Amino acid sequence: MSRKITDEKKAEGQKLLAAAPVTHPPAVVPDSLPSVPALTPEVNKQTPAVGQRVARPDIRTHVTGTTRYIDDLSFPGMLHCKILRSAHAHARIISIDLSEAGNMPGVVATLTGDEVPVNSFGSTYKDQPVLAADRVRYRGDGVVAIAAETEQQALEALAGVKVEYEPLPAVFDPLEAMGPESPKIHRNNNVYTSKVIARGDVDRGFEESDHIFERRYTTQMIEHVPLEPFAAIALFEPDGQLHLYSTNGRITLGRADLARTLNVPMNRIRLTATIIGGNFGGKNEIRTEPILALLAKKTGRPVKAVYTREEEFIASTTRHPLVMDYKTGVAKDGRLLARAVHLVLDGGAYASWSETTVGKAAILAAGPYRIPNVRVEGHAVYTNKTVTGAMRGFGAPQVAFAYESQMDEIASSLGMDPLEIRMLNGFDEGSASHTGQTLQAVALKETLLMAAKRSGWQEVGR
Amino acid sequence: MRGDGVHEIELTVNGVVRRAQVSPETTLLAALRDSWGLTGSKLGCDVGDCGACTVLVDGLSINSCLLLAVQANGRDVVTIEGLGGFEYLHPLQAAFERLSSYQCGFCAPGMIISAKALLDENPAPTELQIREALSGNLCRCTGYTKVIDAITEVCRDHAGAVGVEQSV
Amino acid sequence: MKRAGRGIACMWYPIGFTVAANPSSAVVKVNEDGTATVLTGTVEVGQGSLTVLGQIAAQELGVSADDVHVVSADTDVTPMDTGAIASRTTFVTGNAVRLAAAEAKATLFEVASEMLGVEPEELEAVDHRIRAKTFPEKQVALAEVAARAQIVRGRPPLGSASFNPPTVPMDPETGQGKPFATYVYATQVAEVEVDDETGEVEVLRICAAHDSGTTINPALVEGQVEGGIAMGIGMALEEEILFDADGRQVNPNLTNYLIPTSLDMPKIEVDLVQSYDPVGPFGAKGVGEPTLVPTMPAIINAIHDAVGVRITDLPATAEKILMAIKEKERAEVRQLGPA
Repeated sequence: MSRKITDEKKAEGQKLLAAAPVTHPPAVVPDSLPSVPALTPEVNKQTPAVGQRVARPDIRTHVTGTTRYIDDLSFPGMLHCKILRSAHAHARIISIDLSEAGNMPGVVATLTGDEVPVNSFGSTYKDQPVLAADRVRYRGDGVVAIAAETEQQALEALAGVKVEYEPLPAVFDPLEAMGPESPKIHRNNNVYTSKVIARGDVDRGFEESDHIFERRYTTQMIEHVPLEPFAAIALFEPDGQLHLYSTNGRITLGRADLARTLNVPMNRIRLTATIIGGNFGGKNEIRTEPILALLAKKTGRPVKAVYTREEEFIASTTRHPLVMDYKTGVAKDGRLLARAVHLVLDGGAYASWSETTVGKAAILAAGPYRIPNVRVEGHAVYTNKTVTGAMRGFGAPQVAFAYESQMDEIASSLGMDPLEIRMLNGFDEGSASHTGQTLQAVALKETLLMAAKRSGWQEVGR
Repeated sequence: MRGDGVHEIELTVNGVVRRAQVSPETTLLAALRDSWGLTGSKLGCDVGDCGACTVLVDGLSINSCLLLAVQANGRDVVTIEGLGGFEYLHPLQAAFERLSSYQCGFCAPGMIISAKALLDENPAPTELQIREALSGNLCRCTGYTKVIDAITEVCRDHAGAVGVEQSV
Repeated sequence: MKRAGRGIACMWYPIGFTVAANPSSAVVKVNEDGTATVLTGTVEVGQGSLTVLGQIAAQELGVSADDVHVVSADTDVTPMDTGAIASRTTFVTGNAVRLAAAEAKATLFEVASEMLGVEPEELEAVDHRIRAKTFPEKQVALAEVAARAQIVRGRPPLGSASFNPPTVPMDPETGQGKPFATYVYATQVAEVEVDDETGEVEVLRICAAHDSGTTINPALVEGQVEGGIAMGIGMALEEEILFDADGRQVNPNLTNYLIPTSLDMPKIEVDLVQSYDPVGPFGAKGVGEPTLVPTMPAIINAIHDAVGVRITDLPATAEKILMAIKEKERAEVRQLGPA
């Protein structure tokens, strides 16, 4: 199938290029479809603007491949950084020997955790190191960073790093990690954040119920899988301003984290993003930025790091697996009278966004239903696994799986239509939520009826 | 750049003859992006799982991260940059714009090449054939729905224009 | 044999941070030709937030989306933003943009007031004009006012504002309080086909009805719903990070961690339920995260409807479903007693 490019063809190509007018793309692509002038959607010009299907300005650059993502940027003299990650799920670091790695071809600088001015960060608790210095708590913990002329050279230099570890007992199951005998990962208690929502009296509610339903539901660890891996570049502007380009979705917070970890005033740090190639929660914290800033300072050159797809899995955050115990008391006409929920979140090696996740999961756990007696308890527990953090929904998808599964079980047991039982119990305008809040703009039942209508739910005569 | 094992390659990219000096392990994707600044093709996984690097080589859509640059020597490569620019768009690009088919856009270049490869071979595909043609291009943002809608529209418009009997 | 089933699931989801302050700020400049520039510290992650923010500014200023250019994502240039997280951008950043645009508009109204001889409170900005609300014939082109404001009166129309959703702290013992300013609601109905000999599930159709308050851009909301459903299908049926006994991920790659491809997607029908939230910009709420929440239970409920097994441990892989079907058959045989 291959065609050799002859001198003749080369000359033809040059002629075509010379002949083509500047505004047209080179007409050398054999195509079944002709080019069309670029269009400016008329809808973008209409008023009022709200409610219009306005075409996004960046879609033009997306479809022409000209959108600039962070990895598309490069600067003269730029170095490439790779990070060596822990060889154990839980271990003490005894020593790090960079003598061989530091002298390998192309290596310009190395970095370890003790060189980071303030080696801790985190969205709630500052319990995560920029680079692990004395202890690793999961296999994704970065230990050494190397900056070299090419990515390949940086990777090869990682193999020359010698780290001596003293392995520690590790725990991977969150229920086990809650126990007093379990290995401790940070403090004396692996349970690091808890939330309680309580309203009414669940015990009395269960007594008044005609039926009780109990079930455990569990969900798995999920990864965001943004198509674009995390990428960042650090460089110093001529006036000494530290400039970070990053796929970070929260630059205000990111700048604060950089200021803190580098011990630099905020106005001396500039953090810019372009467009992120998918976030879903996994790019809402600093990752390599402080490392790159320190390497840029050491080398006097721009330094870039791009996560491999494997690093996206093992060294970025993931969705919390949940173990959810639901006990619900129901009257014989289908009204929910009481609900008790116990949630255990696999909180990974570091806290990240777990407090928010526990909080949201607990607040939402009882479902969008009017229930007079509710008690929800949620706990996040450290384990020596990948850090669990922000991911689209923050616990809501997990608890919705539980409460909506149980709703169908209840309906089935009582011989009720699943739509009917939800309409019976669902929130209305002005209903009180389980935290006592008066809800406004409540459209739950409208969505139930709309989806039912669209799918022909009632027509199937359930 | 390593001094040993550097190879000189020459190939046609989007109708233009391009040359570069590459190390043997350099992929075609890396050559496109780093040697010639054609950053439209994206690095998503580097092992051919995601399709973000899809380009046409001698008319076939392939993952450019799986082809070494030296293997592409002498071949005819088309990337997203060869389809259209700001003033003129390929009908697929115009349709994707009209329907807001893409969100973060990272998968778009690879997916558009796959769509073009499909239409070059079969201007009147069924919906299943469209889905199959795109199945090697992962997207996490869109659910593929508006992409397939746009391709369907292009087939319909083009069939109407040239009177081709169409199956979708 | 393939068995069809259908399942319904609904959900609620909050907008903004849990109680904690999560402000956004924005700057709006009206240029001398009546176009506008918005500065926001948010970062576009693909959902189209910059387009929506532009539409909000355009609506407030009475111009069209094309007249507004949004600049974002630079801590030296754009004002602070808590971030595109918790589905808060339309609601919180949107309000900051709207308030900033209103401030710039106030300058325009003061200058227009002199030009028209009408009090500023009596004016409105509609369709590129500033005019008297109750006597629309008295009007002047917005571009003319903008030029005059800067060039003649020396008062460039500039506005800056911030917004933080109103909440009430939660009691530490009982969690009672107002953690969020508003919530959104949604229902999805899933139609599936389950092969009772292999346990494989095909999702055929999902009808999704989503509330996001006033819909600012229907195409973008649909995009969020469709993308969210894809994520929901992955979480329901195939995605899982697996660990070995030493805490090592077994499948840290896209060959063995499977996300939905174009062949896995069902027919999706989206209905946007309109509601009006008095706190949101023009009544809008948000939509980024809720879209995948009802998908999993709708599919799991549909699987139960199809083959009578209830999966309580996600993902509902073919192996799990098949095992559950076999277990159910064995249980039924046991009930019938020995032959």
